[in-house]
Amino acid sequence: MSDATADGASDGTADAARQRTLPRGTDVRSALALAAGLLFWGWLVVRWLNDWLGGVLVGRGEPLLAAEPFESAAAVLDGLAASLGVLGWPIDVLAGLAGFAAFGVEFLPALARGAWLTVVLTAVSIVLGFLVAVPLSVARVYGTRSAWLSLAYAELIRGTPLLAQLFVLYYGLSLSAWIRELPAVGTGIVPGQAVWVAIVGFTINSAAYQAEYIRAALESVAAGQLTAARAIGLSKLDGIRYVVLPQGLRYAIPGWSNELVYLIKYSSLAAFITVPELFDRADTIAADNFEYTAMYALAALLYLGLVLSASKLLARLERRVAIPGLGQVAGRQGS
Amino acid sequence: MSLLRVEGVSKSYGNERVLRDVTFGMDRGDVEVVVGPSGSGKSTLLRCVNRLTEVDAGEVYLDDACVTAPDTDVDALRRQVGMVFQGFNLFAHLTARKNVTLGLRRVLGMDAAAAREKADAHLERVGLGAQADSYPAELSGGQQQRVGIARALAMDPKLMLFDEPTSALDPELIGEVLGVMRDLVAEGMTMLVVTHEMGFARSAADTLSFLEDGRIVERGPPERLFERPEHERTAAFLGRLTDLHGGSADRSVEADGRPDAGGESGPASDRAGGTSGADGAGGP
Repeated sequence: MSDATADGASDGTADAARQRTLPRGTDVRSALALAAGLLFWGWLVVRWLNDWLGGVLVGRGEPLLAAEPFESAAAVLDGLAASLGVLGWPIDVLAGLAGFAAFGVEFLPALARGAWLTVVLTAVSIVLGFLVAVPLSVARVYGTRSAWLSLAYAELIRGTPLLAQLFVLYYGLSLSAWIRELPAVGTGIVPGQAVWVAIVGFTINSAAYQAEYIRAALESVAAGQLTAARAIGLSKLDGIRYVVLPQGLRYAIPGWSNELVYLIKYSSLAAFITVPELFDRADTIAADNFEYTAMYALAALLYLGLVLSASKLLARLERRVAIPGLGQVAGRQGS
Repeated sequence: MSLLRVEGVSKSYGNERVLRDVTFGMDRGDVEVVVGPSGSGKSTLLRCVNRLTEVDAGEVYLDDACVTAPDTDVDALRRQVGMVFQGFNLFAHLTARKNVTLGLRRVLGMDAAAAREKADAHLERVGLGAQADSYPAELSGGQQQRVGIARALAMDPKLMLFDEPTSALDPELIGEVLGVMRDLVAEGMTMLVVTHEMGFARSAADTLSFLEDGRIVERGPPERLFERPEHERTAAFLGRLTDLHGGSADRSVEADGRPDAGGESGPASDRAGGTSGADGAGGP
């Protein structure tokens, strides 16, 4: 295998055979992943549209499916399991699953609305954070005085709890009151001020972490690259922009995807400053019906869907922007 | 009038004195080869010329403009000085063509079509017209170095610096790079070359300098340094290099099977005069 990878040209037939067999297995898997993704996101988008437009398919917050069939299935299976005694445990498990499905049908609509805010918080904060992180990391690697500023920022933000940062922004500073005065905030599709405060907080926080990932990637770009850029007369900044960053950001994708995955989950801290995102919805409903385990399990499923989608998306991005000889994508796929 | 004057240049890294009071000049069309043991300051000397390294003392003049003055626009200076690196340093994320166009577009401000045309012409010139769309990792070392030369040449430099351009190459690939360099010599390009290729030094250089411990120990026409060196160190070093890196055997001829542009009979004998003009490929 390693021979074929290292010296594909000389061993054309084996290489071609591998090329033929490898994608077939991958095709099935990626088709399944695609189907699951389409189902998950299709459901989310249909729910969001339905609720925004005031209930097109079903009433706002009403389930798309009826819960009754799952409930009666659970009841039937439960009875069956009871009649079989000890031997009925596999049926009992099925009954439990049917019951969970019925529970899910009932409460997932509310969680889907929370998931919208989770997606918004994550997507906006990761993008804004990235825009802050790139200059921060460049300053850290290539700056002199700005390197110290960048370092101080990273250490201050990474060294203090995110929750404390959110509290300072929301309760400590008057940011919240100031945002509330802006036009359109909290009306229609525009989220309320707490969401904006959370976005500010996550952006500040995520920028520090993203800057670290990007810094490490920039440092792995060979020094000779910038030297060569300077030697043809590019300024240092242009050399960084046209030569170092295009390479460094490619190197940064795997580490950076880690930050996106984290951000999806720590966006749940926004619940503590009253943002009704995914975790907050689950928590509020559970406080009502005392089904904490089941509610958190449902929320966990949604987080899992979001996280898997994000990592899949970034893996695709990494392959899409891959350049021969830069990074390790090709090598990983072969072996 | 000299194209390049290096006057009393000294450079230290910490306690280590890399260059000590180095002085020499080059006229337009001159080919100067610098040899010396590793750590003798050859690379630092080249880097002082285009100010990738700042000198501690002394001055460098290019066309009578002071390179080392604090208010010199280094980017404008470097546009006029091409550099070829031992490790090629091709932009790894760009195709061969884009390696060449980057400077044309972002430094000289050419539009995309004109830059592309010029880049393709220069890649053609180094024999890589068919590889314009290949990424550096898809090219052999020799091809990469030729792209590196095309990238530098496309900027229409007055002076080309070669920092051990063949030292990182497999022996069978050295010839193709030396071949391109010989073509440049024939076209009258002014070249300052650090190399261990004694065949090239002997046949292509107007002047050979032997650098040791940051000093120019001996400098003169290559045949004199080879045949009648004044210093024993020069004789010992050149003798050893010639054993290692082919003295009379000319690799560019060997590998390419084409006649050498510079000619084997005598160094620079058939090149248009050393001091005057002959800068067809030179300044813009």
